[in-house]
Amino acid sequence: MIKLQNIEKYYANKGVKSYILRHVSTEIKQGEFVSIMGPSGAGKSTLLNILGMLEEPTYGEYNFMGEDVTALKERQRIELYRNHIGFVFQAYHLIDEMTVAENIEAPLLYKKIPGSERKSRIADVLDRFNMVAKKDLFPNQLSGGQQQLVGIARALVAQPSIILADEPTGNLQSAQAEQIMELFKKLNEEDGITIIQVTHSEKNAQYGSRILTIEDGVIKEDISVNGL
Amino acid sequence: MFKLNLKIALRNLFKNKVYAAINIGGLALGLTAFVLLLLFVNHETSYDKWSQELKNVYQLREYHDYATPDNRQHWMEANESRIGALVTDKIPQFKYVTKLGQGWGDGFSVKPDNANPVIVEDVRDADSLFFKVFPYQFIQGDRLTAISKPNTIVLKESLALKIFGTDKVLGKRLNIIMWRDDPGTMMTVTGVVADPKTPESVKFTAITHTGDREKDPDHINSSNHCEIYALANEQLDTLQMNKTLQKVYVDYKKSSFAKRKITFDDYYKNGKRPGLKIIPLKDAYATPSFDKNWMDKIKPIVALSVFLLLVSIINFVNLATAQSVQRAKEVGVKKVLGAYKKQLIIQFLIEAVLQTLAALFICVILVEVLLPTFNNHFDVQLTFWHSEQLPSLVLQLFGVFALVSLLAGFYPALILSKYNPVKVLKGNYETGFKGIALRNGLVVIQFIIAVTFIIGIGVMYKQTSYVANKDLGFNRDRLLNISANYNVGDPLVERIKKITGVKYVATTTQVMGNSFNVPGEITYKNNDVEVNTVTVTMDALPALGVQVLKGRIFSPEYKQDTVNTAVLNETAAKLLGKNLVGEKFNQGKNIFQIVGIIKDYNNEGFDKAVLPTVYRVTHLGGMSSTNNMLIRFESDNYTSALKAVEAEWKRTYPNFPMIYTSVEDAFQKSMEATRKQMQIIGLFSVISIALSLLGLFALSTFMAKRRTKEIAIRKILGASDFQIINMLIRSFLVLVVAANLISWPIAFILTRSWLEGFAYRIDMPFWPFLIATVVSVVIAVFTVSLQARKAAVNNPVDALKYE
Repeated sequence: MIKLQNIEKYYANKGVKSYILRHVSTEIKQGEFVSIMGPSGAGKSTLLNILGMLEEPTYGEYNFMGEDVTALKERQRIELYRNHIGFVFQAYHLIDEMTVAENIEAPLLYKKIPGSERKSRIADVLDRFNMVAKKDLFPNQLSGGQQQLVGIARALVAQPSIILADEPTGNLQSAQAEQIMELFKKLNEEDGITIIQVTHSEKNAQYGSRILTIEDGVIKEDISVNGL
Repeated sequence: MFKLNLKIALRNLFKNKVYAAINIGGLALGLTAFVLLLLFVNHETSYDKWSQELKNVYQLREYHDYATPDNRQHWMEANESRIGALVTDKIPQFKYVTKLGQGWGDGFSVKPDNANPVIVEDVRDADSLFFKVFPYQFIQGDRLTAISKPNTIVLKESLALKIFGTDKVLGKRLNIIMWRDDPGTMMTVTGVVADPKTPESVKFTAITHTGDREKDPDHINSSNHCEIYALANEQLDTLQMNKTLQKVYVDYKKSSFAKRKITFDDYYKNGKRPGLKIIPLKDAYATPSFDKNWMDKIKPIVALSVFLLLVSIINFVNLATAQSVQRAKEVGVKKVLGAYKKQLIIQFLIEAVLQTLAALFICVILVEVLLPTFNNHFDVQLTFWHSEQLPSLVLQLFGVFALVSLLAGFYPALILSKYNPVKVLKGNYETGFKGIALRNGLVVIQFIIAVTFIIGIGVMYKQTSYVANKDLGFNRDRLLNISANYNVGDPLVERIKKITGVKYVATTTQVMGNSFNVPGEITYKNNDVEVNTVTVTMDALPALGVQVLKGRIFSPEYKQDTVNTAVLNETAAKLLGKNLVGEKFNQGKNIFQIVGIIKDYNNEGFDKAVLPTVYRVTHLGGMSSTNNMLIRFESDNYTSALKAVEAEWKRTYPNFPMIYTSVEDAFQKSMEATRKQMQIIGLFSVISIALSLLGLFALSTFMAKRRTKEIAIRKILGASDFQIINMLIRSFLVLVVAANLISWPIAFILTRSWLEGFAYRIDMPFWPFLIATVVSVVIAVFTVSLQARKAAVNNPVDALKYE
């Protein structure tokens, strides 16, 4: 599904290149649950952003479902991730002026999904996440865990084939974090959604099927987790 | 999606009530000024458009110096009456040519049978073709025959209602008394025409047909002036027609001069030249003979309103971009969710449109509320909802609306939609945030405008108070001017002179409010000098209270004064030389002796210089007269004396009410234009300063917010609140000082050119510049410190926790 070849990312400052990522090559298959780990500043988030097409690599080749992303125009790229990628952020990034239901509806609007189907999909997701009662609340009326649930609901409602999560539990207490990770695991196993998450937590990484460890911009380790 | 965006927009407006109010309110103010201006311009351009047929109507203008205010040649609306017959004869394209007398005096007394007389202005005498050229709609009577017989009168509906209370007045008789001892002419009402809904340049309340306009003076040396209008068969090529007219006119002048035994070259010398042209009636109002036309007059106002609108748009842009930090996250998230840039731009444009719409709504209300005051103050009749041109006005408003929405919305929309989602979502606004230089630039522009306004108002204030307190050269208190002609030995005058409290009764052709300049050429020691000649009575100069510099002024003790003496004013004396008293000068064949020199006195506004003037009592060399009967009272409390004068007048002329004005009022009127100009600039400056401050307030709020973290860290490192405030203020102070530096030369140039419009003016004062700078700096510091203090006294821990 995803194929990275020799991805490099650096910033040139006064002729000195400071590398964020070097020679990153890997392949991620449909249905995998990958955790990217590594110390602060190792380039985990940058790698995730490149996977999510929010940033462009300085060099290298990125194939997403058989398409060469680096060669795509902006519009085509937006089209691609609009249809296939869902994002989950550490700070949730819900839109404060929108209610829970409206936040979840937003990606569907951009996909030009008709109103009746939007309604049923939102109802579906709300129901699944046990949040029907909260649909008219604004984000600041929810707890952190609940906000992150909305964030995941928003990512799921567009029926992506892959979810990219940047430290999804970084701002949460451990009980809530566990709940979120269970949810990810369930989505991965039952719905077959590919999940790539960046995490600091060894424990969270264990929920996945594979762990990529990055240090100083280079993939140090690539191990698979074979059950517990 | 539209619905959701609309919802977000409303929620945002509601969340930031203060910003929204500043934004919308400011824009509404700017728009209101602009719409009022628009209404005014619409009104001024709507002259003579009340009928399609007026397209083929042309006004004739002759180039001459008869009865012009500065004794120079101008394209005058008053033509010699013989030109009417001339063009009828020589120009086949003119279907009808009509001659219309100019209204004179301060109105005629109109007396219906069995009712009191009323003074009616703009009663004008026309030949029988007037209504063939001007397609007025007859409510009563027949357009083609109404004024075919002598002593007939056609009233405008408004006048008919005023006099008779009804428009069914056909056959009623009116006595028209043109001056106080005129026995009056009985006229029969033969028609009533509707008042056009849009303004006319040919003003009248009634058209009389005495028959006088049908003929020209018998003697070739006499002339009679009137307005001439022609209805052409079709729309004419004015350039081509004017060439023909010029040729016809020169031929006519040559043959006329031959009969009068003057040579053409002798008459047209020293730059004088013959000229006759037509202008389409619709352009007549916009091209007055010597005054500035309305477009030139309102140019400063146009500039002001445009500036004001600009300031409010700048505010809008500034506030919207400053506020955008709050919207950054929304943009970032939406981009990640798959929004195109175009969709985001449209979303923010819609928000701008929404606010502009609200502003427009407030503006319409404001305009409705302000119109009566505006009309009253500027002496115009503007309407909004009831305007004849409502459809075109709505179209114009829509244009303004679209333009303002785009101007105000586009830049913030562009900035916002450009945010890099990765950076924004990481919480790094500053690098994802550009345009601070632009916003600073906009604040500088706002302050340039505001400071220039303050300086302008300061200079205008100084000039006006200088003029108001300037010595006019005569005493304008206790001086009354009755609009009536005056002849020596007039029994009414003799009776008035006897009334206790009356000091002098006199006449002059030159008094403030009604001056009639007669050019003349005198020869002194073989030098020819162009002067202005004024006819006075013996008492006129003492009645005015002029100051004698040398010699004496006229007095009955000197018999010679009624024969051949003259008094000069200072300006004339300077032209002639020194030691003039007792010397003699020639005017034509006549010799005059100079008996005295008086100080210049202003008989017109201070924008006009005093002309070199020769005053004479004698008939020698001809005299002129105007409707000025001056009465100087003994004491300030002259009410009872005035009542006695009025009673005396009424006894003598029961059919002609006395019309009078005090010279003080005439003086105030001469200053009115300047005063109004100052008031409007004053108003505009206050608004523009207020708007600029709001802009600054918003920007400083934004700035303080953006630097929250920096401020917190500085405080932890030991900075005091005062130091923090100081730091925040300094960055804005630079902007305000820069704006001041730029606006000084701009204001200097503008105010200097304004001052140059006055013949009597102050030197460029320094203190308005200083005050403008001090004021702008002080209020800017105050505004910024409101926000800076708030930011500075915050607990730094809160700010850092937030990060």
